[in-house]
Amino acid sequence: MATVVRMPSVLAGAAEAAIARWLVGVGDAVTVGAPVAEIETEKALVEYAAEESGIVGRLVLAEGEAGEVGDPILVLVSTAETDADIDKALGKAPTAGTQASRGAASGSERSFGRSGEPEAAAVTTEGGGPGGLVATPQESRIFASPLVRKVAAEQGIDLAAVEGTGPNGRIVRRDLERLAATPPRSPAPAPDRAAAGTAQPGVSVADGAALADGALVAGTGRESPAGGRLIPHTPMRRAIARRLSESKATVPHFYMATDCVVDELLALRGRVNATVAGKTVAGKVSVNDFVVMAAAGAFADVPEANVTWSDEGLIAYGNVDISIAVATDGGLVTPVLRDVGAKRLSQVAREARDLAQRARDRRLAQREIEGGVLSVSNLGMYGTLEFSAIINPPQSAVLAVGAARPQPVAADGAVSVATVMRCTLSVDHRAIDGALAARWLAAFTARMQDPLGAIA
Amino acid sequence: MPRARRLQPAAEWTEIASTAADWKAADPALLATMLGQLHLIRAFEETVLELAGEGLVHGPAHSSIGQEGGAVGSIAGLRSADGVNGSHRGHHQFLAKALTHVTKGRLSPAELVTPEVAEVLRRTLAEILGLAQGYCAGRGGSMHLQWLEAGALGTNAIVGGGVPMAAGNAWAQKHAGRLLHRGDAPPAPPDMDLTVTYFGDGAVNIGSVLETMNLAAAWELPLAFFIENNGYAVSTTVGEATGEPRLSARGTGFGIPSYQVDGMDPLAVHLVMEAAARRMRSGEGPVVIEALVYRFFHQNGPFPGSAFGYRTREEEAAWRARDPLDRVAAEMSRLGLIGEEGIKSVRDQAREAMREAAAALVEPDPAAGGTGGPHGASPRGGTAHKPGARRIRPGLWPDPAFVDVGIRGDAAELAGARTAEEATFGGEASRGKFIDAVWRVMDRRMTADERIVVLGEDVHKLNGGTNGATKGLAGKFPGRVLGTPISENAFAGLGGGLALDGRFRPVVEFMYPDFLWVAADQVFNQIGKARHMFGGKNPVPLVLRTKVALGSGYGSQHLMDPAGIFATSPGWRVMAPSTPFDYIGMMNAALALDDPVLVIEHVDLYPSEGDIPAGDLDYLIPFGTAAVRRPGRDVTVLAYLSMVEQARIAIERTGIDAELIDLRFLDRASLDWETVGASIRKTNAVLIVEQGSLGTSYGGWLADEVQRRFFDWLDQPVQRVTGGEASPSISRVLERAAIARADEVAAGLERVRAGFGAGYQGGGSR
Repeated sequence: MATVVRMPSVLAGAAEAAIARWLVGVGDAVTVGAPVAEIETEKALVEYAAEESGIVGRLVLAEGEAGEVGDPILVLVSTAETDADIDKALGKAPTAGTQASRGAASGSERSFGRSGEPEAAAVTTEGGGPGGLVATPQESRIFASPLVRKVAAEQGIDLAAVEGTGPNGRIVRRDLERLAATPPRSPAPAPDRAAAGTAQPGVSVADGAALADGALVAGTGRESPAGGRLIPHTPMRRAIARRLSESKATVPHFYMATDCVVDELLALRGRVNATVAGKTVAGKVSVNDFVVMAAAGAFADVPEANVTWSDEGLIAYGNVDISIAVATDGGLVTPVLRDVGAKRLSQVAREARDLAQRARDRRLAQREIEGGVLSVSNLGMYGTLEFSAIINPPQSAVLAVGAARPQPVAADGAVSVATVMRCTLSVDHRAIDGALAARWLAAFTARMQDPLGAIA
Repeated sequence: MPRARRLQPAAEWTEIASTAADWKAADPALLATMLGQLHLIRAFEETVLELAGEGLVHGPAHSSIGQEGGAVGSIAGLRSADGVNGSHRGHHQFLAKALTHVTKGRLSPAELVTPEVAEVLRRTLAEILGLAQGYCAGRGGSMHLQWLEAGALGTNAIVGGGVPMAAGNAWAQKHAGRLLHRGDAPPAPPDMDLTVTYFGDGAVNIGSVLETMNLAAAWELPLAFFIENNGYAVSTTVGEATGEPRLSARGTGFGIPSYQVDGMDPLAVHLVMEAAARRMRSGEGPVVIEALVYRFFHQNGPFPGSAFGYRTREEEAAWRARDPLDRVAAEMSRLGLIGEEGIKSVRDQAREAMREAAAALVEPDPAAGGTGGPHGASPRGGTAHKPGARRIRPGLWPDPAFVDVGIRGDAAELAGARTAEEATFGGEASRGKFIDAVWRVMDRRMTADERIVVLGEDVHKLNGGTNGATKGLAGKFPGRVLGTPISENAFAGLGGGLALDGRFRPVVEFMYPDFLWVAADQVFNQIGKARHMFGGKNPVPLVLRTKVALGSGYGSQHLMDPAGIFATSPGWRVMAPSTPFDYIGMMNAALALDDPVLVIEHVDLYPSEGDIPAGDLDYLIPFGTAAVRRPGRDVTVLAYLSMVEQARIAIERTGIDAELIDLRFLDRASLDWETVGASIRKTNAVLIVEQGSLGTSYGGWLADEVQRRFFDWLDQPVQRVTGGEASPSISRVLERAAIARADEVAAGLERVRAGFGAGYQGGGSR
């Protein structure tokens, strides 16, 4: 009996994933645990290992093609089985009638892929508009005028959330205008002038301006800056937007800041990096590694702070798991360093470097980005003095680290110059109250200013 | 018992045959020329049939083999400035005219093929093969051969269709002297150029031929109606098709002197034409010549008619025995003008010339196999790849990008013209009626430009025709305002021939637009297509005026709006002025353009008043521009003619903030997409407004074009206002119900309003 392998649920909440790369081809023998594909979700690129053995009979999705969780992605067969058996297996697919019929109708390999553009498919299943309506292929299509479709695409408006009041419920220009006149929405990107010009034969570049000057935009009071260009969203960009919007809207943040005098820390780091091990790339430690170590130490000092919020109750942790924020070409990624409290500085440095590199290569496993109680976000290398960050759910805090700068400090009634680093803690008030956070921050500051403790 | 008196036709009807004395008296050089032309044409037609047999002639090849005598006999004595046109079977006439032109009417049997002759043969063959070097750039092919310089006006695939155009050429020839005549020098005795229009026995029963005979006789045009009676309209005999098979009898019914002549005797035909030409050149009017000829082959292709069973081999053999080539050769040899060798040499030179002409255009097909070799089988099958097969030399085909070039001119002739707009006109103006603008601008133009000729029914009487549109013109411009018989096909076609000639600017009036159907062949098949079909270079400057009379009670057959039909017919430009000021500037543009232009008027507009500039009737409305009559934000209303005002009324009534655009220039090539597009991008909604019936309406193609050009700017479907499906009836109530006015436009605006959805704030019925 041919075995249908389905799109796995690689990330909770992700309804869809795409095949980034097949690691097997038709005719290859597959054993349990052998990697068969790299699967890409909004957030991660995951290697997917076979859960059953067999011979690859058909790759149902092509590379780059997206499928919903549960959709067939490949079919494993025994040697005696034929294409007909594969069709039969796909035809019996229990997930959805449409897929079963697609499978039955499909006589050849890869013939019934969904949209060839995973991102476009992702848009239709993204859902989550203000009205909570989700446009999925199962639902009836949205009727909107050509103008509305164009403007919605340019401005990132989710038409599923717009009420159509034109004939037959068609969404018309004035429906968008009404919508824009009521709740403020995310800032609209400028219409793509160049694209508007090329999309309409015989229409000059000035047409984009004409649209901007037109009733739609003028009526909403939005000014479209000239020369804008529409960059379609990547799944990662959408995920960042959604998760951080949710966080900012649902997590009650409060903030507190501390100045850490880091002359000793910097001196110590210089000595570590001057050691034989430190002269190798693998042996170098960064200021951020000290920050992560100090944060872990602070949790050891104030273990009550090592908690996260859930509706059922606070979740308290034994280990200290800390995320580091990594800027990549695609956007922000936050891989998790596990059990930092049990690790030496050099080990943390090594692991952090590895995670950051793989984050930039988009080669993190899903589990490597899940969990954690606190994120460290460091913009000091850009000279940023101070900033406050948004908590990365389900964590309960984020520590925003600014640049280390020499500045006058008063100590024991005398002013001297010291190297000061300002750190701002954003805290989920549901899980952690102000006093607890203040204790944690004091412990952190102390460990920063006494770095030997950090590496002890 | 009533008293009967036998009446005689006023015109003479004569059968002409040559005598031995005629042959003896004939100029030997003329006979030699005729012999040479006959052989060149015969060899040419044999080559065409040979190439057709190889599948290299796309479409039909109507052979003239057997009929050369009529063409050569009638053309060998013509001037280059004389015109000929013909039918689908026209190779022989075209060649005779072109050869006479390049050889100045003299061919030498000893040296038959001069370089000029070779070029005529090659370019004519190229045209028939559809190649770029042909006289019509390969567009015309076998059935549309034109070379104006040689006086070959264009052959025609519509039976009888070229005859009215020939009358236009003859009219120009008759009156061209007037253009040259200056001051008080006495006019020279008439010696006008003439036109011969060739058609077959099948065309004799066609309306445009008979209408044109009547018109040419009435106006005494130098036009010869040359009937090639070959006995068969495809397979239908003349006797089956008419009660008077002596087809030259037609002429006597119109008072035209008529001749019947043996077309297998080129000298007899020549003598008839000599007599006819004397009459025509002296301005006495047309003639009818019926030449009895025989096509040796079927309608088209290389098989004899007997192969299809409609005639016998015996009949064919009897006619073949009277081959015009043999007749001339025999007579010349009897007179000692040529020997056996000489005749053979003429034949050989002609065939060799054609071998060379063909070799310049076709080549051995590289895909063809060798003789009987294993590669003889074609991969694709068919005859093209037989051993020895030939193909068109690939480099000689026209560029496919040439397909739509020259449908109309580029309007460059309007460059630099002085333009004016009513809204910005600074000069002095007085209020005047629309109808006065119509005759006043024509008066002004006819004064300034003596090429302009007006023709139509009753345009010369009733103090300016039925509506006063030509008021005062007939008296002021004698001979240039021509009241026509009720034969729209003939006088529209005559206008077309005048336009093609180029020395005059015809302004044709159709009293009602529906008459376009009566004259449809001339209007659309001839005038509209002539420029493109014959190669895209020769302009057809003609203005056709007509008036929309919706609301006048004239009923189902007089009340169409012609804009839709003309706008979808390639070649025509269409203008529809809505104010007196615009009418003046648009008529000036129409008369300055080198294209056929339909100028539509409306009876409702005639009494309306507007500003007419005092002393300035020479400006042009900027060509191809629409006018925004009312700016607005909510919907773009596209209207023209009287519906501009109806739409304005409706807009005020509904209170919708509509932008009202008067399209003015309606055809595909002249429409102002810039103004229309800017408006649609602002309003995102379109209402196309017209008054007449749905079926032939104008807005269909426009709506299609709008949705494709502006899809992403449309917030609702393109809406339309038209009349009903049926043509309006005479009953006042039914007529009102069948047409659109302000009420219907208001209803259309409400449909647009419904498309605005709940967010629409403006407007409100008043």
